[in-house]
Amino acid sequence: MQALRPIPFIVRKEFRQLFRDRALVGIVVFVPLVQLFLFGYAANTDLVDVRVALLDQDRSPESRALADAFYSSDVFVPGPPAASPGDLERFLVQREADVSIWIPPGYGERTASFARRSLTGTGDRGEAGAQVGVLVDGTNSSLAGRAAAYAAWIISQAASPPGAAQTAPLAARSRFFYNPELRSRDYMVPGIVVLIVTIISGLLTGMAVVREREIGTLEQLMVSPLTPGQLIAGKTIPFAILAFLDLALATLVAVLWFRLPFEGSAWLLAAGALVYLLVTLGLGLLASTVSSTQQQAMFTLWFFLIFAILMSGFFYPIENMPPGIRWLTYADPLRYMMKIVRGVFLRGATFADLWPQFAALGGMGLVIFSAAVWRFRKRVA
Amino acid sequence: MKRLLAIARKELRHILRDPRSLLVALVMPAAMVVLYGYGIDTELRDLPLGILDEDRTEASRALIRRVLASEFIRDAGRIERRAEIEPAFRRERFRAVMVVPPGYGEAELGSSGARVSRADPARIQALSQASLPASNQAQVQLLIDGADASTAAIVESYLRAALAGAGRGAGEAGAPPADPRVRILFNPELESAHFIVPGLVAVILIMICALLTSIAITREKETGTMEQVLTTPVRPAQLVLGKVAPYLLIAIADAILVLAVGRIVFHVPMRGSWGALAGYSFLYLMVALGLGLLISTVARSQRVAMTVALVATMLPTIILSGFVFPFASMPWPLQALGRVIPATYYLPIIRGIMLTGRAWYPLEGAVLAGMAVLLLALSIRRFGTRLEA
Repeated sequence: MQALRPIPFIVRKEFRQLFRDRALVGIVVFVPLVQLFLFGYAANTDLVDVRVALLDQDRSPESRALADAFYSSDVFVPGPPAASPGDLERFLVQREADVSIWIPPGYGERTASFARRSLTGTGDRGEAGAQVGVLVDGTNSSLAGRAAAYAAWIISQAASPPGAAQTAPLAARSRFFYNPELRSRDYMVPGIVVLIVTIISGLLTGMAVVREREIGTLEQLMVSPLTPGQLIAGKTIPFAILAFLDLALATLVAVLWFRLPFEGSAWLLAAGALVYLLVTLGLGLLASTVSSTQQQAMFTLWFFLIFAILMSGFFYPIENMPPGIRWLTYADPLRYMMKIVRGVFLRGATFADLWPQFAALGGMGLVIFSAAVWRFRKRVA
Repeated sequence: MKRLLAIARKELRHILRDPRSLLVALVMPAAMVVLYGYGIDTELRDLPLGILDEDRTEASRALIRRVLASEFIRDAGRIERRAEIEPAFRRERFRAVMVVPPGYGEAELGSSGARVSRADPARIQALSQASLPASNQAQVQLLIDGADASTAAIVESYLRAALAGAGRGAGEAGAPPADPRVRILFNPELESAHFIVPGLVAVILIMICALLTSIAITREKETGTMEQVLTTPVRPAQLVLGKVAPYLLIAIADAILVLAVGRIVFHVPMRGSWGALAGYSFLYLMVALGLGLLISTVARSQRVAMTVALVATMLPTIILSGFVFPFASMPWPLQALGRVIPATYYLPIIRGIMLTGRAWYPLEGAVLAGMAVLLLALSIRRFGTRLEA
């Protein structure tokens, strides 16, 4: 117990030192909010306002109906009017349109005759339908694929005789669990909560220790009667407290402002954060023992973070990655924390569902933190 | 000029004394290209699909076999009862479960074929729910974990396509009434790397210039060596230019490295001229440098400089410029914010030059030039007054 006595004093000293730097208050409060709002509002890949340039060389009621089908969809908006086939590609190169549609002469006649045939059940079933040209700007690969598929779907729907396509017996019915309206924000915001906790605890701890070394006050602390263990506790506890405050802040904003569901237990989330902090504080300390300047510490941690964020499944699902990289993600602590936080927020996951993640984080935390403490002692002694 | 070079040499020595940071500055961008090139991919490769076969007929088993044969689907196991579905989702065992209801086999015998179109899933879903007869017992159900909304939409459209393919075994529908001939320009294979690599150049230039220069300058302030340099006859402008010159070189080296890795590993095309790219990139580099200098005049500690560089430059560049998230789908206040970010103007230029081959960007170029002049003038002036005070 004797060993624990000085810890509150070191923690208080550290807090005083932290808040002397006015900007730090901004870092702790303002940065998480900026991240939440930027990602919460901007990070969606929904298909909207796709500008379509249309060249109608048929000028029949059928072709006008097709044009209307495009303009009345909530995805496509009218782009510049095309006067000749050459315009269609030119608009895409100059970024004045994202998709161009060419309705060649004869479109109306062909679709009308197809409708007649399907009504009477006569004629050659194999005869090709009316052709419509679709040009898509492929620069943004993920948008382009979906815009192309949607345009093709509108065209085949517009030309189908009413009621023809929907009676297929194999038409599957689908149901989405947890997020029935498919709001991408609901998935993004819990991920940002993880990022915020990671940055506050890992990056700031690493830089705080190196800062003392850089300006020479670490030596002064070492000549004091504090043991390295007490020093470490004093350096990490304040950031753990700040990380918990930010976790609470971010969760409140997510639930009250972004109206996210919070299906699971807040205690489970807190427990997950506690285990995870062992990893991030350990990483911060470890980076500080291998760095002699703040720039180095920051760089080392950034280098780690950029990869860890990408491989955590924050933006894109891990199953889409090539097998080699998929294996690498098992070494990424963020991967497990993402699953815990998203599971608690969206799926109402319990400890029984999440224990593999807890076990992985706990194991990593123990290894990383003891390695950090060991290196720290060695450098101090 | 001589003094400027001396400062630059001093800064270079600072950089070289810390080979790890230099290595990180050079290796990180190249590694980012490889990881982002492979990692940002909406193509499904390994979809864990669960199966609940309530029909247990020859027909249902045949359907399941054909669906599981799709190369993007991984057979993640069978379940016996509907009550098992939800707990399995909570454990993330499956991303989707296909339920073949009782009576599927009989209904299939009576039908002639199937047609499921492949398009925007949300709309198909609305449409199919509106028009499907309730009595149709043969409906296969797709239960999808919707937590990851955008992936869920893709999962659904892939599964419907797989089902449509599997249903073909029973009979073929006639030719479609309309035949959309889709051609995708500039990136016909829809390679995500072709989209990401040019964007990474924009992100990395900002990262190196704004972050490294602001930290290098605030470090001298924090450790107190700035005063020592100022007692020498070096003028503020010389000091600033000398300090940033080495970082400019690093930034240029990084940009070249990123482009080289993109070309070699991902075969990102270069359809425009290198000269135009270099010219516009130089403008953008000046803007990034101006930002870094401005931050260093505001920040007193490295920690603050890092945070400001992160929040005011890197995050907006990644999120608001159209690097991954399309500009059009943001609400208007963020679009307005996005319009003051330099990368919003540089991204169309570099993507245009590399992917479409367009050479001339008068509007974007003018905005970048204006930003560069404004930021550099402002920061050098602020720098001068701060140092003399």
